[in-house]
Amino acid sequence: MTEWEKYQQIRREAAYTGLALLVLILFWCWAGFGLSGVEMEIFGLPLWVVTSSIGVWFFALVLVQLLLKYVFRDMSLTEKKGDDEDE
Amino acid sequence: MSNGGNLAALLPLLLFMAIMIGIGFYVQQAQARGFGRNFVQQYFIGNHDLGGFVLAMTTVATYSSVSSFVGGPGMAWQIGFGWIYMAVVQVTAIFLVLGIFGKRVALLSRKFDAVTVVDIIRERFQSDGLASLAAFIIVLFFCATMTAQFVGGAKLFAAVTGYSYEMGLLLFGLAVVVYTTIGGFRAVALTDTCCALIMMVGIVLLLYYVLSAGGGYTNLMANLHANHPEMFTPFSDGHMPAGLYLTQWILVGICTIALPQSVVRGISYKDTASLHKAMLIGTAVVGFMNIGINFTGILAHGVLTEDLAAYGGVDNIIPRTIVTVMPPALVGLAIIGPLSASISTISGLLIVASSAIIKDVYLHRAHKQGKEPGTRQLRVLSMLATAIIGLVVFMSALTPPSLIWIINMFAFGGLETAFFWMLLLGLFWRRANKLGAFLSMGGGTLVYCLTQGLGFKLMGLHQITIGITASLLFFLLGTYWGKPQDERVLAKFFPYREN
Repeated sequence: MTEWEKYQQIRREAAYTGLALLVLILFWCWAGFGLSGVEMEIFGLPLWVVTSSIGVWFFALVLVQLLLKYVFRDMSLTEKKGDDEDE
Repeated sequence: MSNGGNLAALLPLLLFMAIMIGIGFYVQQAQARGFGRNFVQQYFIGNHDLGGFVLAMTTVATYSSVSSFVGGPGMAWQIGFGWIYMAVVQVTAIFLVLGIFGKRVALLSRKFDAVTVVDIIRERFQSDGLASLAAFIIVLFFCATMTAQFVGGAKLFAAVTGYSYEMGLLLFGLAVVVYTTIGGFRAVALTDTCCALIMMVGIVLLLYYVLSAGGGYTNLMANLHANHPEMFTPFSDGHMPAGLYLTQWILVGICTIALPQSVVRGISYKDTASLHKAMLIGTAVVGFMNIGINFTGILAHGVLTEDLAAYGGVDNIIPRTIVTVMPPALVGLAIIGPLSASISTISGLLIVASSAIIKDVYLHRAHKQGKEPGTRQLRVLSMLATAIIGLVVFMSALTPPSLIWIINMFAFGGLETAFFWMLLLGLFWRRANKLGAFLSMGGGTLVYCLTQGLGFKLMGLHQITIGITASLLFFLLGTYWGKPQDERVLAKFFPYREN
């Protein structure tokens, strides 16, 4: 990758990370407040307690997996010699 | 509780601290072989050498403080599952900072031979004044945070083992100063990894004994349902206001990406595969810790059945629980967990504070005067700076200020206000300039500290909302008022497409 391509890729990754945050916030709202009225119980706990703790945690892990699989790319962290002398 | 001291509780702790110091010496020996090339880079950042697992662990361990292990679960005991719901927002902290800043600072640091976040700020905004202000804010707030960590750890030690506060401080406090001083960043990263692992062991151990002392899970839950039904609702009968959820998202979730002690970890790793791995491991670990320890705090109702007043505040809940449920022989093991949270935060802050003084202030001055200090001299000075800051903080913790939670939060929000927009906009927005950064950092932090100090709130929300908004407004004001950065500087940060 050239320096320009790397920067574009990094911007893309940062933007999608931000998007993942947004999705996680929405899921978090739904998993806690959204489900707090549901009567169902799991392991003696109201449904929202489970979805808003372990549920949010797992959902975050899935989001990170998706980011890594579809958005993040490997790149060399050192610059290729020669193409970055002071112009 | 004060049975004159539980010797069995002391031994595992002594052993653990000995191992930590051993790691410090080992790292120093190992690094001494490849010496001379670039001591500063080696001592303060570990030669861009961290793999994914260690990167994840050191980021999590530095981020998780003693209050996540003592004050936090104490609040969970009082409030219930709403507290876990709030605490779980911290699963965002690791993947956000590594995902947004990880590669950006890794590339930039290599380009400019940067070792600290302040180095990058200096290059981006071409301002020594701004860099000095940033270094000053880092040292000031880090010292406050470190003191709070020392105090929290030593109080816990005293409450659980029955030995004195001073002895606890001496024991783990000196150990952390010693191993950070001799081993530098590399030792910090390795010891952090041990700390993070032992924190998880501690949580599992405590959870197990709380469950068995409380008569089993089903029994505990039945009692909770009967006696504290409000704990099963998100707002916990008003104990957990909606505004708190909002501000915690900002304070311990989103804005933590700008904490210099986290961002600097983006300079330290080896390759992008390590970074990717760390995002996943870090998120898994931080989630496990936050849910695990706070859940344990709630379940402690099975053993601490009286009112909060009977235990003298939320900070005493976890120490009391440890003493009540753990067999005396295992108390030592259980206390290493929270103490690890404390020392791993201190070590991470200590090395960054020291780098701010040596790299950002001293070395920069020397270079400006055309001097190039020798490796020997740098080595002595770097270690001296680390030791002195460590000892100053250590001494201030001997006469402890009260309310660790608030001191900690004061510094936390202050750092976020100072660095959030400057790093986010500075690194991703061409237009961002020196004046904006200056106003944002200086003005924002001032507004935050004033409102926090005076207790002024808007709509009852934590002052971070005011601080972070003011910081943004100042940034935009300065950016549109002042002139853009020099095109040659910008070209290095925002490369053009090559033809």
